Amino acid sequence: MARTTKRHYERRVMIAMAIYVVLLMLVWPQARSTPDIWLKIAYALTPIVPLLYVIWLMAQRIFNSDELEQRTHLIGLGAAAAVVSIVSLVCGFLAVAKVMTIDGASIALIWIFPILMITYGGVRSYAARRYGSSGCDDDDEGMPMYVRFSIVAVMFCAIAAFAYYREHDEQMASFAMGVSAGIACAAIFFGVRYWLRRHAAKP
Amino acid sequence: MNNHVRALREARGWSQGDLAERLDVSRQTVNAIETSKYDPSLPLAFRIAKLFRQTIEDIFEPGKH
Repeated sequence: MARTTKRHYERRVMIAMAIYVVLLMLVWPQARSTPDIWLKIAYALTPIVPLLYVIWLMAQRIFNSDELEQRTHLIGLGAAAAVVSIVSLVCGFLAVAKVMTIDGASIALIWIFPILMITYGGVRSYAARRYGSSGCDDDDEGMPMYVRFSIVAVMFCAIAAFAYYREHDEQMASFAMGVSAGIACAAIFFGVRYWLRRHAAKP
Repeated sequence: MNNHVRALREARGWSQGDLAERLDVSRQTVNAIETSKYDPSLPLAFRIAKLFRQTIEDIFEPGKH
């Protein structure tokens, strides 16, 4: 089977994530105001569809990877599973002991997938670096890191704008704007590093 | 494990990308094998040996670790 090129994979993931953000902003809020239970379920679960597509893309990519790439994927997924398990267990014990209050549905469950993905990406990048890859893949055929971070920053900025102007949810808008600013800083860092490396590589 | 993959590749005038394409692996994997950061599996070692028309023992030899 042909190996999926990184560029195609990233393009598909980015399109799916853009659709996810649009669905989250336009379709998902309808679930709160719809009285019909089946329509409510449909609206609430619609944003899952592009995420399922992303998971399928990831599975395809891992399946088509070579043995070293599969090893780094395994290390990343193993570490991500361990981190999520430990964090869940710690928070669960603290919540049962009434040391802290956790809103299970809206806070804890929604954060499991992002924490899993962030840990997986970070550890996989670290593992790839140990085997001699750049880790950030700036020298490969893939999308440079500063572009990836810029796109994610714009997505969070759009969520903040939507939360502020459409939902009048200042808390959500502030949070999304803060996340966007943090990711934008990372994009600037990777952009400067990318430029310096390109500049140094010129004869 | 030490190996002579880089020397064999360069003797044929191939880039790491060329060798990666012939072995159906990524360029990073070829680089990791050449720098002894990764020891290939037995099937991949056989593919490398077959490509260079040598035995596995001629290409790979036990190292310090």
